[in-house]
Amino acid sequence: MSEASTQRSPLLEVNDLHVQFGPRRKPVRAVDGIDIVIYPGESVGLVGESGCGKTTTGRAIMRLLDVNAGRIQFQGKDIAPITGSALKDYRKQVQMVFQDPYGSLNARMPVGRALEEVMQVHRMGTRTERRQRAAQLFESVGLDPAYMDRYPHEFSGGQRQRIGIARALALQPQLIIADEPVSALDVSVQVQILNLLKEVQQQEQLAYLFIAHDLAVVGYICERILVMYQGKIVEAGQPSDLFSNPQHPYTQKLLDAVPDVDQALLRRSGASE
Amino acid sequence: MSESLLEVRDLRVYFGSRERPVRAVDGVSFDMREGETVALVGESGCGKSVTAMALSRLVPEPPGFYAGGEVLYRDQHVLQLDERSLRDIRGNEISYIFQDPGASLNPVFRIGYQIREAIQLHRPDDDAEHEVLELMQMVGMSDPQRAARAYPHELSGGMQQRAMIAMALACRPRVLIADEPTTALDVTIQAQILELLVKLQAELGMAMLLITHNLGLVAGVAHHVNVMYAGRIVESGETVDVLTRPRHPYTAGLLKAVPRLQGGDERLVGLEGTVPNPAGWPEGCRFAPRCPMRQPRCEAEDPPANRIAQGRYSRCHFWEQLNP
Repeated sequence: MSEASTQRSPLLEVNDLHVQFGPRRKPVRAVDGIDIVIYPGESVGLVGESGCGKTTTGRAIMRLLDVNAGRIQFQGKDIAPITGSALKDYRKQVQMVFQDPYGSLNARMPVGRALEEVMQVHRMGTRTERRQRAAQLFESVGLDPAYMDRYPHEFSGGQRQRIGIARALALQPQLIIADEPVSALDVSVQVQILNLLKEVQQQEQLAYLFIAHDLAVVGYICERILVMYQGKIVEAGQPSDLFSNPQHPYTQKLLDAVPDVDQALLRRSGASE
Repeated sequence: MSESLLEVRDLRVYFGSRERPVRAVDGVSFDMREGETVALVGESGCGKSVTAMALSRLVPEPPGFYAGGEVLYRDQHVLQLDERSLRDIRGNEISYIFQDPGASLNPVFRIGYQIREAIQLHRPDDDAEHEVLELMQMVGMSDPQRAARAYPHELSGGMQQRAMIAMALACRPRVLIADEPTTALDVTIQAQILELLVKLQAELGMAMLLITHNLGLVAGVAHHVNVMYAGRIVESGETVDVLTRPRHPYTAGLLKAVPRLQGGDERLVGLEGTVPNPAGWPEGCRFAPRCPMRQPRCEAEDPPANRIAQGRYSRCHFWEQLNP
């Protein structure tokens, strides 16, 4: 985190968030009292294994789920009570990129239309302006605007994820919640998308909440990492500190389990001597 | 080194029509020895899973057909065997575990029953009851008696995969083919399952074919690695040598594209373009359209498997310029 951002006020502040599912007598505590602070332009990673509550956290921040306790503030305002046009406006500022680029695009809508639609919903510009902006967005994520009238099935997984990112950028949000945005992609394509996410972050001064299970991927993209385990954040820190000097046993366990090429080769060369 | 247990020579598995086939596996050769772990690594659509299925002639025909080459298992030509002889090999001598254990187990039968079935299929006279529990213990299922009575949905993904491994090992196969065995599992469970596979392989002296897209897994366990791209093996060799001194630009590019824990935020340079579609491989060198080293020759001339050293090959015209 840079010096400047510590002086600025936070973009997102989550305090003591609780989300529970199931019967009230015996609830499943999916998110069990977590705090998150994200400053403008900052990328924060949320790492953990399946069932740890990371996706639930993202969905609660998007107001796609009801929270049981705690407070979520965006630009200093509590988002719990907002409804109607205020909620719509909030969702314009906070956008989401999903894991499955196949499932998150409408199969029956040309991809250019999908970009125009989000702008239409938020009453941005005229029809021609929206079309122009969609073409611009297409280009900014490395796609040829000539393909705007094609359907999702005509694109590869990586290209579809680019479209998903373009759609999230369409409303010029302050914060993007990216939930496992590269885990469904091939290795060689993964890095293209990661680099694209880095580039647009710098251009647009975006903040990210980057949700993923892959520590190395999160370390590449994020300035700060939160490790989540059983609904709680057990450790937070900068990637280099966290990786070289983990404090919590769960972080250590995660790090030991990562099949890292360098470490494996190092172990083997050590063993053969 | 001991003799080859399994030899694959110029294997070609195509799909669709004979006039205009989709050449999913297009001239793959490698061998496996007793006790050896061989990795087949590549991205989606490269043909690694079809190769695995072909090893005991499991590719459905049609739409698939064997367009050439051979699979030799202990001097038997697998692709020429009749159904009956194939049944003696499948599961008994060559066994498989797949990516999604939840989908591989039958949801309406108890775990113990399914493992017993795997034993009795090949050895109908055995008293399998005792053996089931032994197998479950071997794959590290705590409280096997309880787990044997459980239905698949009552077990975690890691436990389901252990049950699948127990079934795969029921007949003590000589060759275990593990097709993305840990991809669907969480990273800590993934490490446990991999450790288990390596341990069992050493104990039972099996040959293991590990099919994966994850270079980290390869680096951790494989003796020998075959890198697949567009239906072919583009580079092969001893694992540490291939991963530290790649002699094919695809391997080099893949290695550069993997984020590392100690890599910091230094910009990764990936490969341009996307994985090609099996329905139409590029002409000439199939990697040429994405290759940072490409020359006019690459688009005109398909590179052969150039021999670099004993057991070390690269399908690149210019392998000598990479990591000389």
